[in-house]
Amino acid sequence: MGACDPNFLSCFLIVALPLLSFAVIMIFTWRRHKLSLAISLTCSTIPLILAWSLFFRLKDAVTMAKPIVTQVNWLVSDAVIVPFGFLLDPVSLLMLAIVATISWLIQVYSIGYMEGDPGFARFYADLSLFGMSMLSLVSASGMLQLFISWELVGLASYLLIGFWYEKFSASEAGKKAFVVTRFGDIGFFMGLVFLTFFLKDINIFGLGIFDINNAALTKKLTEAQVTLCALLIFCGVAGKSAQFPIHVWLPDAMEGPTPVSALLHSATMVAAGIYLITRLFPLFAASATAMSVVLAISTITLLLSSTIGMVAKDIKQVWAYSTVSQLGFMAMGLSAAALGGSTLFAGYYHLTTHAAFKALLFLCAGVFIHHFGTNDFFVMSKDGGRKLAIPMITVTIGALALAGIFPFSGFFSKEAILGQLWHLPNKMWVGLALFGAFLTAYYTFRVIFVMLLPRKDDDPIWKEYYVREEGGHGHGAHDDAHGGGHDEHHGVPWVMSFPLIVLAGFTLVLGFMQAPLEKFLLGESHPHDLNYLLLFLAVGCALGGIGVAWLDWGRSGAKWQGFIRKFPALETFFIQKWYMDHFWRWFLNTFIYGTFSRIFTYNDRRVVDGGVDAVAFSTIGSGRLLSFIQTAFVQLNLLFMVLVLAGVGLYLLMGR
Amino acid sequence: MLVFNQLETYLYLALLLFAIGLYGVLARRSLIAILISVELILNAASLNFMAFNRFLAPHPAVGQVITLFIMAVAAAEAAIALSIIVAVYRKLKSINIEHATELRG
Repeated sequence: MGACDPNFLSCFLIVALPLLSFAVIMIFTWRRHKLSLAISLTCSTIPLILAWSLFFRLKDAVTMAKPIVTQVNWLVSDAVIVPFGFLLDPVSLLMLAIVATISWLIQVYSIGYMEGDPGFARFYADLSLFGMSMLSLVSASGMLQLFISWELVGLASYLLIGFWYEKFSASEAGKKAFVVTRFGDIGFFMGLVFLTFFLKDINIFGLGIFDINNAALTKKLTEAQVTLCALLIFCGVAGKSAQFPIHVWLPDAMEGPTPVSALLHSATMVAAGIYLITRLFPLFAASATAMSVVLAISTITLLLSSTIGMVAKDIKQVWAYSTVSQLGFMAMGLSAAALGGSTLFAGYYHLTTHAAFKALLFLCAGVFIHHFGTNDFFVMSKDGGRKLAIPMITVTIGALALAGIFPFSGFFSKEAILGQLWHLPNKMWVGLALFGAFLTAYYTFRVIFVMLLPRKDDDPIWKEYYVREEGGHGHGAHDDAHGGGHDEHHGVPWVMSFPLIVLAGFTLVLGFMQAPLEKFLLGESHPHDLNYLLLFLAVGCALGGIGVAWLDWGRSGAKWQGFIRKFPALETFFIQKWYMDHFWRWFLNTFIYGTFSRIFTYNDRRVVDGGVDAVAFSTIGSGRLLSFIQTAFVQLNLLFMVLVLAGVGLYLLMGR
Repeated sequence: MLVFNQLETYLYLALLLFAIGLYGVLARRSLIAILISVELILNAASLNFMAFNRFLAPHPAVGQVITLFIMAVAAAEAAIALSIIVAVYRKLKSINIEHATELRG
C-alpha cells in the first residue's frame, strides 16, 4: 500500500513520464524537434510497456468487487488528507492498456503527419500532456484526482484543437470545446459536492470511487439523493462525451490536426465521459430515474448525429458525427443495462472496440487529408484516393466495423448493446437503436462508396461535388506543399501506415475477444443464448444501410444524391445540424449576454468599480477637508498639540 | 530654610519654568525666542528630575545621569535649531515665524 509497492510504482511511472516529457519539451527542448520527438516517444513507450505488463500481471488477481487500491498521502493538513493513488480493477486495467496503446500509435503516426510543422515539438508536448491526463483519469483512485485529470484532459484538448492557433476558426474551436465542456463540468463538480454532503463521513478530498460505489450498493443513499448526484455527474459526462444538447463542440473540434482528432475521438477526451459512467456504474444503476434520462438523451444524440452525418461533405465531420452517435450508443447500452439490472459489459465493450476502429478511421482520414490537402472526400475521390492501397483497405475495415458487419469488432459490441436494449420492456428503444445503426451504415458507406468508386473525370456530376477550397480546411501550411503535388502518388510513409495496420488488426481481433473480455471484466462469462431475431434485425439494418448507400452512391448509374434529397426541408435541417448551433447562439445572446452579462456588467461597473472609486474619492475629499488645518501657523498647530496632550494627561490622571 | 528642603518647592518652580517656556513657544513670533523657550522647557524637565532624585530616589545617581543627557541633547538641539534658523533667514530674509507659510494647505 505504500510508495514502494510495485503496482503503485508502475502506475506512477505511467502517469509521471508523459507529464515529465511535457514539461521538459515545453521548457527546454521546444526548439529541437528531433530531440523532443525522442523524449516524447520514450515517455510514451515505457508507459505502454508498463500498462500491458500490469494488465497481464494482474488480470487474474483483480475483480470488480476486489480491486487493488494503492495510494499514498499526497497532502496532509491536520484532519484533511488528500490521497494520491490508483484504483486497479479490470475496467481500469484494460482502459489503461488501450489508452497507452492508442496514444503511442498516434505519436508514431504523427511523425509522418506533422513532419515539418513549425510547432512539431509543441505538438508532442501537448500529446504527452493529453496522454498523461487520460492515463491518470483512468487509473485515479479518488474522485478529486479523477476530477483534476478530467480538467487536464479538457485543457490538453483545448491546446490541441487550437493547435494551429493562427487560424481564427481553430482557436475559436478550441475555446468552444473548453467552454462547453466546462459548462458540463460545473454539474459534475456539483454532483461531487452533493455526494460528499450526503455521505457525511467522507470529505471531498478522500472521496474514493470505491467508496461511492459501495455507498450506492449498500443503500447508504436514498433514491432521490442518488438521482440528483447521478444526473449532475451525467452533466459532466454529457459535456465530455458530447451528448445532446452540449455535443456542439465536438464537430468543431475537427479544426485540430487529424491525429488529435483520432486521439480525441477514440481513447481520450470523449471516452472519458463514458468511462466515468462505467467507473460509477453502481451509483448510476442505483437510480432508475437518472438512467431513464440518460437513455433518452443518448437516444436523441444517436439519431441527431447519425442524421447530420448523412449530409456532411467533410470526411472528418462524418467521422466526428459517427463518434457522437457511437457515444450515444454506448450510453444507451450502459443505461439500458442499468435499467435491466444487467452489467456494464456491453457499453464498455463497445467503448474498447470503438476506440480501435475510430482511431483507425481518423488516422486513415488523416492519410488522405495529408496526401490531398483537403477534407472533402468528394475531392479526394476525384483526385484518386483509392490508389492509396493501405489506407483505403484499412478505412474500409474500419467502416465495416463501424457499420457493424460480421466479423468485425463493431458487430459484436453493437450486438451486445442491442441485446441489452432488447430486454427493456419498451421496444421503442431497440427500434430507435436499430434505426440509428441503419443510418450509421448508410452514412459510413456513403463515404466508402464515393471514395472507392469515383466517377470518370469528365462526368458532369463533379460540377456539384468537386470544389477545391484553396488553403484547405483544418490543416496548416505544411499540407499545402503536399496538396500542390497530388498528382505524383508518392507512397504513404511507413510511420503512418504502420499504426493503420496495427489498428486494423485490433479491429479484426477484438470482436472475437468478447468471451474472454467478459470473463475478465465480470469474473464469469454468461453463456449467450443467441437471439436470432435480433441478430437478423441488426445485420439486416446494417446491410440495409449499406444497400441504400449502394443505390444512392455506389452503383454505376447512381445519382449521387442521398435519399434525403427527396425531403428538402429535412435535408436543410440536417445540414444546419438541427439548428443546434443557432439555438446556442440565440440562447447565449438572450440569456447569457442579454441577461446575466448585463446584470454582472452593471454590478461590476456600479458596485465593484463604484466601491473602489468611492474609497478613492472619499480619501481625496477627507484629505482636502483636513488640509484646512494646515494653516501655516506653526504655533497654532503646537497649541492644538499641547491641548490634546493636556487632555490626554488629564484623562489619564482623572479617569482612573 | 525649610522651604528649600521640600519637594513641592522645586516642583512649583519647575512648573513655573515650564509654563513660561510653553507660553514663549506658543506666543513669541521670533524663532530665537522660541528656541530660548524650548530651552526653558527642557530645564524645567531637568529640574524635575533633580528634585525627584534628591527627595525620592534611593540611588542618587539616576536622576543626575538623565539631567546630563538632557544637557547634551539640549546642546545638540540648540546647534540644529540655530542652523535651521539661519537657513530660514537665508530663504525668507526674516526669522519671524509668521513668514514661514509655504506649507499652507
